[in-house]
Amino acid sequence: MSRAVSFYIFLLGAFSQVLLAQTVTREECLKGFAQRAQYVTSFYDTTRQVSYYSVAAKYAHNVDLAFADSAIVTLLKRPSGDMFWMFPVIGAYLHGKDKMSPPAKTAMRQAWKTYAPYRGDTENHWCMYYASLFLAAEQWPDLPGTEWYNGKSSEENRDEAKAYLMHWMKITTTIGQGEFDSPDYFPEYVVSMSLLAQFAQEAKMKQRGKMMLDYLFADFAAEHLQGQYIGGFSRIYEPAVYKPLVSPASAFAWLYFNSGEPSQTSWLVLPALSGYQLPEIIYQIANDRTATYVHKERKRVRNVIRYGTEKNPPVYKYTYMTKDYGLSSLQGGILQPIQQHTWSVRFTSGKPFTTIFGLHPYWSGIELGMFFPEEIKTLVADVAGSKGTYNKDDKWTSSSPYERTFQHENTLLVLYDIPTGATSEHIDGFFPKNLEQRVIDASGWIICKAGETYIGWYPLQPIEWREEKENWRLRSHPAPAGQNGYVIEVRSQTEIGAFAAFHEKLRAHRPVAQLQPQKVAMDYTNIDNEKMYFAFPEVRQLNGKPIDLTKYKLFEGPFLNAEVGSEKLTITYKNKRRVLDFKTLRIEK
Amino acid sequence: MKKNFAPIILSLLSFSQLQAQESTVYVSVLATRLFVAGAANSPTGIYYQRPGEDTTWHHLGAGNIRAFGLAVHTPARGQLIYIASGNGALRTTDSGKNWKVTTGWEITEVLAVCIDPRDEKTVYLSTAYGIYKTHDGGASWQQVNRGLVDPFSTCVIVDHANSNVVYCATEGGVFASSDGARNWQRLGLSVTNIRVIAQHPRDAQMLAAGTENNGIYISRDRGKIWAKSDIGVDHNTFYAIAFDPNQPEIMYAGGYVSGVYKSTNGGKNWVGYHEGLTNLNIHSLAVDPADGNRVYAGTMWSGIFRSDNGGVTWRKAGLSGAQVWTISIQPF
Repeated sequence: MSRAVSFYIFLLGAFSQVLLAQTVTREECLKGFAQRAQYVTSFYDTTRQVSYYSVAAKYAHNVDLAFADSAIVTLLKRPSGDMFWMFPVIGAYLHGKDKMSPPAKTAMRQAWKTYAPYRGDTENHWCMYYASLFLAAEQWPDLPGTEWYNGKSSEENRDEAKAYLMHWMKITTTIGQGEFDSPDYFPEYVVSMSLLAQFAQEAKMKQRGKMMLDYLFADFAAEHLQGQYIGGFSRIYEPAVYKPLVSPASAFAWLYFNSGEPSQTSWLVLPALSGYQLPEIIYQIANDRTATYVHKERKRVRNVIRYGTEKNPPVYKYTYMTKDYGLSSLQGGILQPIQQHTWSVRFTSGKPFTTIFGLHPYWSGIELGMFFPEEIKTLVADVAGSKGTYNKDDKWTSSSPYERTFQHENTLLVLYDIPTGATSEHIDGFFPKNLEQRVIDASGWIICKAGETYIGWYPLQPIEWREEKENWRLRSHPAPAGQNGYVIEVRSQTEIGAFAAFHEKLRAHRPVAQLQPQKVAMDYTNIDNEKMYFAFPEVRQLNGKPIDLTKYKLFEGPFLNAEVGSEKLTITYKNKRRVLDFKTLRIEK
Repeated sequence: MKKNFAPIILSLLSFSQLQAQESTVYVSVLATRLFVAGAANSPTGIYYQRPGEDTTWHHLGAGNIRAFGLAVHTPARGQLIYIASGNGALRTTDSGKNWKVTTGWEITEVLAVCIDPRDEKTVYLSTAYGIYKTHDGGASWQQVNRGLVDPFSTCVIVDHANSNVVYCATEGGVFASSDGARNWQRLGLSVTNIRVIAQHPRDAQMLAAGTENNGIYISRDRGKIWAKSDIGVDHNTFYAIAFDPNQPEIMYAGGYVSGVYKSTNGGKNWVGYHEGLTNLNIHSLAVDPADGNRVYAGTMWSGIFRSDNGGVTWRKAGLSGAQVWTISIQPF
């Protein structure tokens, strides 16, 4: 079948799925997934491109086996890619081991003997590395260390890999992921767990793989809006930070939630070939936005190796979700190096630039030294070598020790206490050029309209606008002080009526701010007359009552609930319930 | 009066033999040019240079491990080597033909390694999470952090006069153990963020420490009292300190944009040299035991440099583009 015909068939299916999104049955959900999965793999079934993904698809579908055999021998002559090599290689092998030619099989075994992949230095690396190693060790179970790249026997490799995976699952289900909610790194976890769920010979690991897939997709579903991850993220890159639908996670939203844009990215191949079936309840959670809701989560900071007192301090994420937009924030501070995204509002209108957000562009050797062991004086240059925007003062992703947030429903307060001499002293805001309206009101409010979503931004200090190719950059750089902040109000037409009504309401509500070094605070009564008081860094009060972030559960909201330390996630939708209990490895329905 | 000159003659003989010997140079390479996990990176790991080779280096073992440190057990003449790496602690017992990762998933960011010179089964690791020790040649490892504060550690050494005495450089200061790392006590140096510690090859009382932002410190009483060694020093961050093993009053130090400093009087004063060094970020230094004028300096991103005149002038010696984290020169 040609790619074009396949695409039209897929579109037909996708359209019918959109119509049925609210009332989809289990059978329809599975059928839609099968159609989309077929669309993904159809390219890899037929392409002459030599890649592990085309090999895996051909073996899985029993087509063009001679090409697959030849390709695997070619590819394995020069292995590279470390843990990013391991999972597609073992995936290709597991799909093809009963059909492979002897030379292909020999090349595969030889590669695991001679090519030593780098283990990496972060959670997604270790997850890919050990999931792949576990499966490989199961496939060649009784070999001595001389037959493996790392000198360990099959048994040692299997036990070590299993121990890491158990540790990762336990820490994730007790204090949260470190590399949480990442639109760019979500696939690494899903692919690793898909392979475990499909191919692990040990029944418990197979079950763990399935349950972690449910867990990851449930986590995404509760913060999903029409293909977009809503956040507050640990890690995201440009351009996905300002073009949300281009992120790899959005491709997964399309494949599993039938939402967003069709994709044939190679990240989808192994999941599409897997037997994993997304539970209907998670599909419904991902798509039902008939009611607005608040969803709260606790995650953890990636391993802090120095300049800190705690290895994995907590991260608190607050999300307000409607059918038109999601406003979401982390509490601020350094929670991840380099690619942190502390807050944003993302909306359904104005693709591809469906977001407004702000940040303090910060970089330092100390920040990097908290998470990486190399010398702090050269780390900035080293990191900028591969992540070129890291030390640029106009970058769009950053953590900052001088930034904190306070969110209540669809109102967000952000404060900055930036000392003189910080790597940059200004703050920036991203405003798409294709907003339907961007009004600079005499009241001080910047009032924007994106479809049926209205966004108000009240800066506490003077600002200037810079026109860039696809956006307006709000920059605020008060001299000489770096004490700064803003209020964000977001409402939809459903919530407040006409844009003029939103405009009118904002005019009547302005914050009272105190902006002196080490004394940064604001009082604000929002347009729903909720009184918010926020003093940098950690004093948050709502209607006179203190907000205690430390009481956050692992998940808390209408769909997902989990206690810290529980290893148990309860997924709820209307009268349905699914409980993932990692202590017993049981799924209760 | 009858005098016994035999020990003197033997000593002179062995010294002259040593002088005549040539050495094998081992280096650990963290990265060569830009390193991105998952990309087709050029080989990291360890390289060595045989006696007489000038700018030629041979890669040894795995190529994707990001090697921070290495330790060569001198009595085993290169058969026993450990690497401290991103993949853990690797060991070979057959000069690099076969390697084994001796650590498990829980030991990451291994930054330095030291083999007890008297007991090859006892090995210490400096890691981002403190110190690990094996007493069975890497079959098992125990975390030994009791007494350490801010245990992130970049250097661990065993006292050459007493194997029960171990020193480590940590973010919290210089620490010593007198019971084989079961317990640690902070030594008398008040500054923190220690990057490297070195012991005088003959006088076990003398220690030198390189710090982040606080220069070089020297102790002459096994770490009780430290004095800043800053006469002639214009830089403040030092990653490497090396003694000339045959003339230990000669010391070298290097660090962040410092070039190479040399002291000929045990650190009383220093002279900076950088002629020929096209990169002044020095991360490793070693003096050839066979020829004290031959000194090697490992840079961050410009490979290795060599001096044949006691550090006065330098020339490129290969591994272009490499971050050379550690150098070990072996007299065989």
